[in-house]
Amino acid sequence: MKRIAVTGIGLIAPTGVGRERVWEALAEGRSGISRIEDFDTSNLKTNIAGVCREFRGEEFFDEREMSRLDRVSQMAIAATEMATREAGLTNGQLDSYDAGVYLGTGFGGQGSIEEFCGAFFSNGKGRRSAIAIPKSMYNASSSNIAIRFKTRGPNITVTTACSSGANAIGQAFHLIRYGHADRMIAGGADAPITPVVMDAWKEMRVLSTKNDPPERACKPFSANRDGFVLAEGAGIVVLEDLEKAVERGAHIYAEVIGYGSTADASHITFPDPDGEAHAMTRALKDAGVRPEEIDYINAHGTATKLNDASETEAIKRVFGSRSYEIPINSIKSMLGHSMGAAGAIEFISTVLAIEHQLVPPTINYEESDPQCDLDYVTEGAREFGSSRPLRTAISNSFGFGGNNAVLVVRAYVK
Amino acid sequence: MTREAVESIEDAVKSIIIAELRVEPSQLGPTTHLMKDLGADSLDALNIALRLEERFRIKIPDEAIPRFLTVGDIVNGVGEHLAAQ
Repeated sequence: MKRIAVTGIGLIAPTGVGRERVWEALAEGRSGISRIEDFDTSNLKTNIAGVCREFRGEEFFDEREMSRLDRVSQMAIAATEMATREAGLTNGQLDSYDAGVYLGTGFGGQGSIEEFCGAFFSNGKGRRSAIAIPKSMYNASSSNIAIRFKTRGPNITVTTACSSGANAIGQAFHLIRYGHADRMIAGGADAPITPVVMDAWKEMRVLSTKNDPPERACKPFSANRDGFVLAEGAGIVVLEDLEKAVERGAHIYAEVIGYGSTADASHITFPDPDGEAHAMTRALKDAGVRPEEIDYINAHGTATKLNDASETEAIKRVFGSRSYEIPINSIKSMLGHSMGAAGAIEFISTVLAIEHQLVPPTINYEESDPQCDLDYVTEGAREFGSSRPLRTAISNSFGFGGNNAVLVVRAYVK
Repeated sequence: MTREAVESIEDAVKSIIIAELRVEPSQLGPTTHLMKDLGADSLDALNIALRLEERFRIKIPDEAIPRFLTVGDIVNGVGEHLAAQ
């Protein structure tokens, strides 16, 4: 069976722009959560979010281009720019029907949608625009990537809530494995920090209200956790047929070896450990890997009361007593929950953990919870190495609607 | 129409084109072609028509839009629509 390599990475997160910058912050246990400044939050109980303050569209686009791109598309394209440059694929090699795009997003062009709706409902006193639909449609990002990078193969946008980015990478991985593409630009992007979205989340009472200090609000697996912190971001990888990657001397970060996707078929918001456990089991089976071979789990770890308990239970069902020996982290503790981007950003973090032989910490852990009693790497980043190498890992994403996606990553050995 | 009236239409049309296409005033002459010279596409043309409708309180029918090819065409077109009202 074909092997698939990760040959390029593009990252935009609340802690910075670029793979090196974001990894550095993860390794140091630094949070990117801050007070929202772009709109009035006085009616909200939560006034913090993971804003990508270092991302500036002007560095990647001219004014005209920006006027046609929602923030989510800007981030998706910019991250693709970084990933393809790293992968050394900027000389027309992507101009092919064998290169495609698979992108995940939860909220699409939400900012633009709000802008156009505002103009519409105020009887056109705002800006009526002929670009409203192309700018805000959910596939705007992936289509704009194809236009810019000339990828003529399958071009798909997947939206499965919090697992969108992971499902996109998993689907892209399978497309290459089954011969529908040689190279895929895959990942996720979301820019959901808007007045309407923050208000809507408020009504669900699922966001953390521990606004002060913002960096300490998100407490995955801690008994005093009180909800997630909304964030924005983009995570893009270049996935490639391993043989072709080796042939052209590409740097190989790691291999994607398995993907499992299930539905809880239970409740539109409450998670079900059964569906989650099956996603992990199916991913392992797809990878041809036994549970005993997993060295590390990058958890979904949103810091809601329900997810963290359900995920812990699901892990126990798959790994049994060995669950207590596997390091598990939640980088949402530092980056917040970027919805459709999260699964992709976390997959990337898993790849980088293997490359650097280092597991970033779960920060803000304060009180032990009997329902969450596994090893969440709370003392600080943990180093691995020759005596105990990090070789194979999984990344979990469990979305609203019971959409579960799990990816299996393995260190590349020539 | 008086020359002053035509000039003020011209100023307004130019400022709309400058705002929509992000070009410099020096790039606009009466024969400047929106698509060939300024790189506009059909979506830009639609947006410019929308701005013109708002600015001059006129209604531009679909068939008229393809005829808005040069700056001069637009100025004349707007003048005709205003005169017809």
